[in-house]
Amino acid sequence: MEYFSEDFRKHHMLTGIDARVKFIVAIAVLIMVISYKGFVFPLAVVLLNICLCMKMKVPFRALMLRLSEPLAIILVLILLKFLFSGREPLFSLSLFGLSVTGHKDGLIEGLMIAGRVLGAVSVIAVLGFSTPFTELMSGLSWMRIPKGFIEILMFAYRYIFVLFEDAMVIYNAQKNRLGYCSVRRGLNSFGTLAGSLILKAFDHSQNTTVAMVQRGYDGNMPLLRHKPFRLSEVVVSALFIIAMGCIWTLG
Amino acid sequence: MFFVAAGMFTVSDAQAMHISEGILPFNWAALWFAVAAPFVAAGLFQLAKRSKTDLSFKPLVGLMAAAIFIISCMPIPVPTAGTCSHPCGTGMSAILLGPWISVLVAAVALLIQALFLAHGGLSTWGANIVSMGVLGSFTGYAIFKVLRSVRINMAVAGFTAGLFADWATYAGTSAILASGIKGDAPFMPLFWKILISFMPTQLPLGILEGAMTAGMIVLLYKKRPDLLEKMHVITTGERQEAKG
Repeated sequence: MEYFSEDFRKHHMLTGIDARVKFIVAIAVLIMVISYKGFVFPLAVVLLNICLCMKMKVPFRALMLRLSEPLAIILVLILLKFLFSGREPLFSLSLFGLSVTGHKDGLIEGLMIAGRVLGAVSVIAVLGFSTPFTELMSGLSWMRIPKGFIEILMFAYRYIFVLFEDAMVIYNAQKNRLGYCSVRRGLNSFGTLAGSLILKAFDHSQNTTVAMVQRGYDGNMPLLRHKPFRLSEVVVSALFIIAMGCIWTLG
Repeated sequence: MFFVAAGMFTVSDAQAMHISEGILPFNWAALWFAVAAPFVAAGLFQLAKRSKTDLSFKPLVGLMAAAIFIISCMPIPVPTAGTCSHPCGTGMSAILLGPWISVLVAAVALLIQALFLAHGGLSTWGANIVSMGVLGSFTGYAIFKVLRSVRINMAVAGFTAGLFADWATYAGTSAILASGIKGDAPFMPLFWKILISFMPTQLPLGILEGAMTAGMIVLLYKKRPDLLEKMHVITTGERQEAKG
């Protein structure tokens, strides 16, 4: 959870840029990555984003944690495609009476998916590492995402950390009382933990509503106001998207 | 060969319920966004309608989303696989808030996970909403309602709803993954291979999720039946019965 927080999001080259501009650039690059058929473009995107993360001084552990799940999925997908998909056999061997065949075209397809996943994950990682949540929400509202959805997102994000602390207190108390010493007790404890969290969520929501109504809440939450775009940011971003588009076309 | 792949999933893929960023090519990603959009829109419509009469409804849905987010991040040991995995929690939210709002809750939790934890992704957000939000919520809700309508007790109804919500999500994820990565290969063989690969974690995890949902609903029924009544999970008669 510490790597989920914004603690390491210090001042760097990307913090001053308008969240809307970062969002548009990220979406444009993401679309290019997932619509590309090959290795060159996604790998170029991964390299660029790793350099950006290093420049932003993102802790290495945080970056690796962010990439660990996609990497695990990539490994499985490459093996699935290599062993089960394709027409050109690369090798064939017999294991315990079962025939195992690796396919060249399957491997290439698997590696292409792997490149796509890594490229896409690195784009969103840079966006997440460089943009505070409230600014992202402001960017989403500018993109005409319904206000009700953004309000729910803001409530959820605000209370994730509060509820997480509550969950940890309950979990530690259960653990100290041998709540997880067997499968049966563990299941029971986990059900109680989930139920208690729902109760906490309900109580917090009632208290929050009372507090907000006392401060003038009428069912709608104010969001950050949009500043006008800076011309320099727009020009640089447009040039960047065009440059990436050229690599996408040529690669 | 299935077991080779199955073994690989069990040691590595603890977060297999979410389709990772970039796995789906553009056309498939766009299709799943189009499929998810009407469900999210219907959820937003319900939210607007209910929050007009109840100012606390939006904060409640937001906090439920936060709770579901945390529950879906909690690692649970899967004894048969020797690893940890996580529940999806949509069965639980569908029982409490109804399936349409539950789709919204899933969409919120998935977006935060995609942006800040790399669980799931932005390009696969639509696909994940369909598998976790739509399939999980509607399956869990329908099963819970059917079982309660024939007077099956709360624990069994909760368990079955959680179990099938999880398994529906797992089947949906497998179908979406297979359609997205099949290339020129036929759909069905790849679908079965992915489904079988998920089994070692997802079958026991479904049972764990069922137990968790049952534990949650029984706790609420015993401690706070008023809350279940407010959320239209039980009737006033059942609340009085619970109070004894």
